[in-house]
Amino acid sequence: MKRGLITWDKAELPPSVFEARLAKARKALAAQDLPALLVYSDVWRSTEGRHLTNYMPYWNRSLIVIPREQAPVLLCGLSPRVYPWIKSVTIFDEIRPASKLVPTLLQLCSERGWTRLGVLDLPRLPHEIYSPLAASNLGISDVKLELTDEAEVAMHRHAEQMAHEILTVELPKGVGLTDYQFSGRLERAFRRAGAEDLVLLFGTGNSAPRPACGGMLGDKYSVAVALEYRGHWARVTRGLPL
Amino acid sequence: MQMINEHRRRQLMNLMAERGWDSILLYGNAWRKDPFRSLVNFNFSGDHALARLPRSGEIAVTFSDPWDAENAYGTLQPDFEKAFAGGASAIAGLEFMEERFVAACGTLPISATADVEELRRVKTAEEIGYIKQACDLADRGYQHFANVIEPGMREFELVAEVEAFLKTDGAEDNFMLIASGGTEVVGMKPPTERKFQKGDSVTTELTPQVNGYYAQICRTLVLGDPSPEQNKAFEIFSEAQCAAQDLIKPGVTAADAARAQNDVFRKYGYGDYTDAKYTRVRGHCLGLYPDETPHILEDVDYVLKKDMVVIAHPNTYLPLSGYMVFGDTLLITETGNTRLNKTEKKLFTK
Repeated sequence: MKRGLITWDKAELPPSVFEARLAKARKALAAQDLPALLVYSDVWRSTEGRHLTNYMPYWNRSLIVIPREQAPVLLCGLSPRVYPWIKSVTIFDEIRPASKLVPTLLQLCSERGWTRLGVLDLPRLPHEIYSPLAASNLGISDVKLELTDEAEVAMHRHAEQMAHEILTVELPKGVGLTDYQFSGRLERAFRRAGAEDLVLLFGTGNSAPRPACGGMLGDKYSVAVALEYRGHWARVTRGLPL
Repeated sequence: MQMINEHRRRQLMNLMAERGWDSILLYGNAWRKDPFRSLVNFNFSGDHALARLPRSGEIAVTFSDPWDAENAYGTLQPDFEKAFAGGASAIAGLEFMEERFVAACGTLPISATADVEELRRVKTAEEIGYIKQACDLADRGYQHFANVIEPGMREFELVAEVEAFLKTDGAEDNFMLIASGGTEVVGMKPPTERKFQKGDSVTTELTPQVNGYYAQICRTLVLGDPSPEQNKAFEIFSEAQCAAQDLIKPGVTAADAARAQNDVFRKYGYGDYTDAKYTRVRGHCLGLYPDETPHILEDVDYVLKKDMVVIAHPNTYLPLSGYMVFGDTLLITETGNTRLNKTEKKLFTK
C-alpha cells in the first residue's frame, strides 16, 4: 500500500512535462474525434493516471477525466477533507467527490454535453466500472497512449539507482539476520530515502524468490526489490556475494 | 499454516450446492487479494491470482507471475485471460476483475462477492488467532511510534521507523495514515515532509497484517502538554469509543454501534461533526482486508454476530482539537466483546 512520501517536486517534474503529456492525450482524442478521455486509477493501478496528472491514490479508486478543450477533472472516492492535499501534489484544480464513480461520471458528461467518451485501455477497466458505463447511453471507445517520454525514463532511472545504491550498502548486513529483520532494515533505508512503496522478495536458492517468512539469511542469498519512487517503479534483484 | 482454508472450502461447497452452482472462482489482484486468499492463503506478489473450486472440491490455482506459480505449486498463465477459459457459475471478486477477464468467461458469471464476504465475516479460531497476533503487533508498533517520535522529525521519517519495526517483527503489510498539527488538521493522509512541532496533535491508525489478517489501532499523541481543549476533545472521543465497546455484542446492529458513538458527540454539542463532511465511518470489520464491511454507520442495519472482529473508532474533526482518532479492535463474544488491543486507552503525550 502507498503509505510513504507522496509529493510533487516541480524541479524534478516541471508542470510543462504534464502539459506535454496532456497535449499528447488530447491529440489522440482529436484523432478519434472524442471529447474527453477517461483514465481509471486505484491503489495499485495508478501508473497511467500518475503519468498524466501526478495523482497517486493511497487508497480507494478514482476516475480521471481529461477533456479535449478544458482542464482535467478528478472524480475521487476519497473524502473532500484531503482534496487540498491532493491539489498540492497533482495538476488538478477541480476535484469532485464520487463515492459512486460511474453516476458522477455520467453527470459530468451530461453537464458538458458529451455523448461519447474515450477510455484509456478500455478492456482493462474493472467490471464494476465497465458494466454500467457500457449499459449507459454514452458511446465508449478504447484509446491507446504511449506513456513513455524522457522525464518518465529519467524517473525510473532514479528509482533504479536508489534501489541499486541502497542494496549495495545494505545487502552484506543481512547475513545472519532473519528475512523479517532484514526487511525491516530495508524498509527503514528505502522509506527514509523517500520511497513511496516497497515490495521485497527473498531467495536462498531453494525456491523462487518469495516474501519474508522468518527464514535465516546465510552468506548466499538474493533480494528482489520492487521500489516505487514518486510513482515510478523499478525492480532490481541483487545477490550476495555481490 | 495450511495454505488451503478447509473451513472455507466446506462453506463454499455448501454454498455451491445451495445455489446450484457447478463451480466458483475466487479472484485476487494486487490491491484486492482477499477473495483469493479467503480460500488459498498464499501471499502472491504478482498482479493476478485465481482459485477454481468445482463441485468435486479439488482446487486449482493459477497465477500471472512465475515466482508465485512455483512457490504455490500452481499453474502459470502470463496471458491471464486464458485462466478464465471455460467460465464458471459464479466469481468472488468479479467487480474488481478487468473486463477482458470477464469477457474471457464467455457467459457472464454471477457475482459471489457478497456471499463470500458474508462467509468471511464470522472468523474461525485460527483466523482469530492471526488477528490476535496482528493486534499484539499493532500495540507494539504504536509503542514504538510513541517512543521514537520527536519534534523536528518529519512525518515520513516516523513512518519509515514504524514500517521498519513492523516488518522486523513479521508484518506482511501495514496500512497506515498519519496527520500532525493543530485545529487546521481535518483528516489523515499519507505522510508528508512536515516536521513535528511542540504542541502538535499527532494522529495515526496502524493496521499490520499477519498471515493475511489485519488488526488496527487508532491513537492520538500530543507533543508536549495537551491543551485544555485537546484534553476535553479526548474525553469526548474516549466516552464515544467506550459507548460502542460497552454496547457491541451479538444482535446489536452496526447502526446501533455508530449511534452510540455519535450520541456522545451530540450530547456535548458536536453532533454536526459526525457526518460525512468531517468523518468517514465510526468503525468497520477487519479480516483479510483492512476495511471490511459492514461499516459502522447509522444507516447500516447489519446485525453483528459472535466471532466477528470490528474496530470501533469515533475518528473525526472537532474544532476543539482538529482531527482526532481513538479506536481498538474488538472480538465479538457470546455475550459482549473482548478488546484485543492492550495499549492503554489514553491521550498519549511526549
